[in-house]
Amino acid sequence: MQAFRKVLITAVCAATIALIAGCSNSPSDEEMRKLTDLQAQVKQLEDQVATKQRENATLEKQNAEKNGKLQQCQSDQDAVKKAMGGQ
Amino acid sequence: MKTLIVSLSALVLVLALAQTLQAQEKMTKDEWQAQMTAATKQVADLTAQMAKLDSDRVALMAQSTKLDADVRACEDALYALLGVTREEAEAFEKELGDLEKRVDELQKMSDQELVGHRDELERIQTRLKELANHKMAKIPRMADRIRVLEDKVAALLASITKEKTYTVGTWARDRDCLWNIAKKKDIYNNAWLWPKIWQGNRDKIRDPDVIKPKWVLKIPEGKELSREEKTAANRYYRKKAAEPATGQ
Repeated sequence: MQAFRKVLITAVCAATIALIAGCSNSPSDEEMRKLTDLQAQVKQLEDQVATKQRENATLEKQNAEKNGKLQQCQSDQDAVKKAMGGQ
Repeated sequence: MKTLIVSLSALVLVLALAQTLQAQEKMTKDEWQAQMTAATKQVADLTAQMAKLDSDRVALMAQSTKLDADVRACEDALYALLGVTREEAEAFEKELGDLEKRVDELQKMSDQELVGHRDELERIQTRLKELANHKMAKIPRMADRIRVLEDKVAALLASITKEKTYTVGTWARDRDCLWNIAKKKDIYNNAWLWPKIWQGNRDKIRDPDVIKPKWVLKIPEGKELSREEKTAANRYYRKKAAEPATGQ
């Protein structure tokens, strides 16, 4: 009976150690903080990229309008020259 | 003894359960590593994308500056060609734009409301005639805008004076010429009265053989030609008779 008790206590200790050892497979708090910081950096960069994309789209639109204005001016110039008899 | 076994079993069970729950809540080291790798890659990709966007922005800004300079140079050349200053050109465009807005507002009014704006319409009509002689009106685009406005104002004035008008259709579809218009039952029902339309619309019709689709022509009242209309018609017939045969 005494022997069985020893075996049982040993088994329980071994199981407990194994379970506690199993817990250490998780990343540490420091590692988790690193991951959280990195994910925050990703979010921040995504926001910045979206803002820059919007700004560039606005610039592209403005340039297209200016280009249209230039073409219209050139066409006006050609028409006036033609009307003036190619002077 | 039995109590000890039960207690120890319970302890093991509790520990096992706690481990399972903890495992569900917390990620494993492998998962952490995978997320770190993915996030690091995302940061690298996004940083590269930012650099590309920054360089695109620089190029777009440079393009914008060049376009500004090109537009300015083109406008300067155009104004020099026309003999107007930039200020005159801008004032002309502004006035034309303001008139367009005003005429649009007037078009939304009922005939009854419009009657109270007859003087304004006549002033606009006079001003448009002046603008049509402006150097800026040598730009066909401007001349077209003035012509469209003149037509709108003429139509508005016609609607309040209850003067009859006719909007010219296309030759292909309506066979519209002054002769055919005058011949219509709801116009004069007499083709020979075509000079009345010509003389009533001298502001538009320079050559009675040429009328353009969408022109709104005034249809003057009367069942016979006046002395001036007859004279104009005779002058036209003589001119046509003097023209050499086209070899048909």
